[in-house]
Amino acid sequence: MSDTSWLSKFPQLERGDLIAIRKTLDGAYREFSRNYGDTIESLFDPLLTFLIWFEKLLIASPWWLTIGVILAIVYGASRSWKLCTGVFASLIAIGVLGMWDDTMRTLSIITVCTLLSIGIGIPTGILMSRSNRVQAIVTPILDVMQTMPAFVYLIPVVMLLGIGKIPGVIAVIIYAVPPVIRLTNLGIRLVNKETLEAATAFGATAKQRLFGIQLPLAMPTIMAGINQTIMMALAMVVVASMIGVKGLGQPVLKSITNQYFTLGLFNGLAIVALAIIFDRVSQTYAKRTQKHLGGMNND
Amino acid sequence: MHKQTFVAGAMVLLSSASFAADSCGEITIADMNWNSASLMANIDKYILEEGYGCEIELIPGDTMPTGASMIEKGEPDVAPEMWSNAMRDALQKGVDDKRLRFAGNSLSDGGEEGFWVPKYLVEMDSSLATIEGVLKNPQLFKHPEDDSLGALYSCPAGWNCQISTNNLYVALGMEEAGFDIIDPGSSAGLSGAIARAYERGQGWLGYYWAPTAVLGKYEMVKVDFGSGIDEEHFTTCLTQEDCLEPRPSMWPPAPVKTMTTEDFAKREPAAYDYFTKRSFTNNKMNVLLAWMEYNQADGEIAAEYFLKNNEEMWTTWVSADVASKIKASLN
Amino acid sequence: MTDLNKASTEENETLIEISGLYQVFGNKAKSVLPMVKAGKSKDEVLAETGHTVGLRDINLDVKRGEIFVIMGLSGSGKSTMIRHFNRLIDPTEGQIKVEGEDIMKLTDDELIQFRRHKMSMVFQHFGLMPHRTVIDNVAYGLAIQNVDKTERLASASQWLETVGLAGYGDQYPAQLSGGQQQRVGLARALCTNAEILLMDEAFSALDPLIRSEMQDQLIELQAKLKKTIIFITHDLDEALRIGDRIAILKDGILSQVGKPVDILLSPADDYVEAFVKDVNRARALSTQTLMQNVNNTLESQSVESAINSLNASQQEYGFVCNNEGYQGVVTRSQLEQAAANDSNADICCDELLIKVPSVSPTQSLQSAIPEALGHNFALPVTCKDGKLVGTIPRSEIAQVLES
Repeated sequence: MSDTSWLSKFPQLERGDLIAIRKTLDGAYREFSRNYGDTIESLFDPLLTFLIWFEKLLIASPWWLTIGVILAIVYGASRSWKLCTGVFASLIAIGVLGMWDDTMRTLSIITVCTLLSIGIGIPTGILMSRSNRVQAIVTPILDVMQTMPAFVYLIPVVMLLGIGKIPGVIAVIIYAVPPVIRLTNLGIRLVNKETLEAATAFGATAKQRLFGIQLPLAMPTIMAGINQTIMMALAMVVVASMIGVKGLGQPVLKSITNQYFTLGLFNGLAIVALAIIFDRVSQTYAKRTQKHLGGMNND
Repeated sequence: MHKQTFVAGAMVLLSSASFAADSCGEITIADMNWNSASLMANIDKYILEEGYGCEIELIPGDTMPTGASMIEKGEPDVAPEMWSNAMRDALQKGVDDKRLRFAGNSLSDGGEEGFWVPKYLVEMDSSLATIEGVLKNPQLFKHPEDDSLGALYSCPAGWNCQISTNNLYVALGMEEAGFDIIDPGSSAGLSGAIARAYERGQGWLGYYWAPTAVLGKYEMVKVDFGSGIDEEHFTTCLTQEDCLEPRPSMWPPAPVKTMTTEDFAKREPAAYDYFTKRSFTNNKMNVLLAWMEYNQADGEIAAEYFLKNNEEMWTTWVSADVASKIKASLN
Repeated sequence: MTDLNKASTEENETLIEISGLYQVFGNKAKSVLPMVKAGKSKDEVLAETGHTVGLRDINLDVKRGEIFVIMGLSGSGKSTMIRHFNRLIDPTEGQIKVEGEDIMKLTDDELIQFRRHKMSMVFQHFGLMPHRTVIDNVAYGLAIQNVDKTERLASASQWLETVGLAGYGDQYPAQLSGGQQQRVGLARALCTNAEILLMDEAFSALDPLIRSEMQDQLIELQAKLKKTIIFITHDLDEALRIGDRIAILKDGILSQVGKPVDILLSPADDYVEAFVKDVNRARALSTQTLMQNVNNTLESQSVESAINSLNASQQEYGFVCNNEGYQGVVTRSQLEQAAANDSNADICCDELLIKVPSVSPTQSLQSAIPEALGHNFALPVTCKDGKLVGTIPRSEIAQVLES
């Protein structure tokens, strides 16, 4: 009988070849990190400076001032006293339970991550909506970003940029940016074709169509994407703390390893409180500004 | 639960028939997520399956979750390399409550812990092998967020070594010398930070432990505190969160043990007996880790390599009868 | 309407000219074109190449000031067709000329300017911008031309008033009924003062009652504005009611182009015939479609000169009009009797006049029939101001009602 072992056992590469491949790629990455690490790191310096400044600002400001500013933003966005009361109560509870500084750290990094995600996501989504080819290329990349286990890219990023805020921000954004990209793309593609055609027929330029029709009409969908992005960014807080990002994630990690359940619960609830605040505020803001659309935008 | 009843039932049957030496049931072994532990788990699997006729299931694990599960749930049966200091109180309580047993030392020399600096720094300036030299040069150990500070990379959040590191930071006067503690968040974060510094030839100072793949790959020097080991002070104060007057002391060797559940020790006496004997020296483990690192080998491959090339070592752990069965299967 | 406008100086001037237009949908449309030209059917082309033939060898002229209706069932290519006029869709091959200029050769910027100033469009589902108020919707065309805000809002509110929506400016489209929304769409299209108005099934989404109301409004507006309108519909009654000329499109091919009467009375092929068979002609045709020019008008003049005029035009009777418009009919025999009494008497003020009732050009033939009974004269057609614009000979009415 001839050799039919490949039938029962998958004919994989020789162990030696596999190891050679892995070693070559690892070596190449180390080489890359050795040669370009400092350069790449310096590109992120302005962002790092800003992150540190923003965090210090939130922590150093008197707590009542911070709460005041947050409440003002909440009221400005939602016009709801009920929501303001809820936010006030959660912030007070967080402070009383001794999680103020960590919450401010998390708030600062999440805010920056969200803004960056929006800044990256909306233009990418727009590009995607304008070309089926771009969509075909970007969609699988987004799939990878959402499903690839974070540590697979976290540790290479740590090797390149060190531990701390920057790799944390990168990890959070990689995980959190896909929804805003996807939903921007979807929102624009769902804009009523006739409305868009009308704009074209009246001689609107591409830019006038984008800013006058497509983006405003896609806004409810985009807002849903931003909302998702914020939620996912908050979900990454614990993972980010595993590469040295300070905030509510670290006590959570600590409580996991030491089985301090209450500590874990408090910090977990603080994360949830932040999430709910972000969610409710952005939702009511979206609802308030889009009331007049009625049921028309997708007919 | 279900499995336990089944095993218990099987034992009743077996004991009523003949208590043959090679009778062995199902055993679960924690396959920890670092190389030396994974190597041991795979060696144990091979020996117990081929030599004792057990059925082994490897369960992925990590120190804390595995330890907790063994205490509370009695699963897995065996943790081949347990750094018991990491959750000393909980494990000791498990032993006291007759839930756990320390079968033996996986690493006979114990684990080596300390503050480490890259070897190339010491070659540049030999004073950096001592704490005095380090304290004088915080600028060599750049803080990622504040250029004016030096950085001491601490032990990952929640590990016991975080407490001792913090206490030593105070005891050694590192704050006054311009150092700040950085929490790397996880062991992966910590080793990533070492790799980054090492690949670029930069300064790095922080907690680490041996034998590990990282220290096998990146040559590091343990910083001498000049204090020697004060084991009494170390265990009563430096490892405690409420240590009011910490004094410098090097880490005493950390016990690294093979831990089993009480139930397992009673159920599988022959296999338990094997675990009491299976042990490595740090030197031997370092050589094996270096081989694994160089070949990017996983635990299974490394176990086979070890068994084929280190007969004189493992044959002392088992009876001649068992050894010959294993030898036969290896060929 | 035709004949009303044709009286103007721009009569019969061709404004839009389409020739040799082909539209094939698919990735390699150009390479499929020879097959289409060789006469393969839509189904064959689809089966062989996966390409869809949208339009095939379209040639047509649209004259300045007319309402040109393109009629076809769904899938006939009519909506594709209208999108070629302002190049929302580019043809696979063919020429589109507006005022003699080939718009296929326009650069992107020129095309934008062309769309802003030459043509505007009304859409089937209105195509309004739900995030803008009604007034901003109407002013949209001007807004993207960067017309000053007060100016464009002033213009927009004027047009809103014209379509009967004064006071609705601050509402959002979602707050309006379908008919109101389409009035907004119409106002928006008129607001840019473009000469050509494209209407893509503009009234199809509306209730029958509202639809007929809108048709009336369009006809009324057109009488004032004299735009060139290209109107797409699947409804033959609508086409007959408002069209000066009608093109019938079937499977991307033009079956027939002609006046409503021609379509109704002499269908070019079986398809058109089947189409028009069930039409209630008397209801479908408006009086103006049958209307002919008057060549026997008599002014306020003496009996004698009136007889001379009738002699000159060899008519048995004449329609009398003075400064206040149409007055009535006089016959030769009456005139001759009257001449025996006083040949210098004014025909206007005499009892000679037979008060034959007039009809309006927009009313349906059916509603005009009662007025045609009880006398043997052609039916006079007058505008609102009483001016005589034409007559409908009895033979025409008979012919329409007969077959």
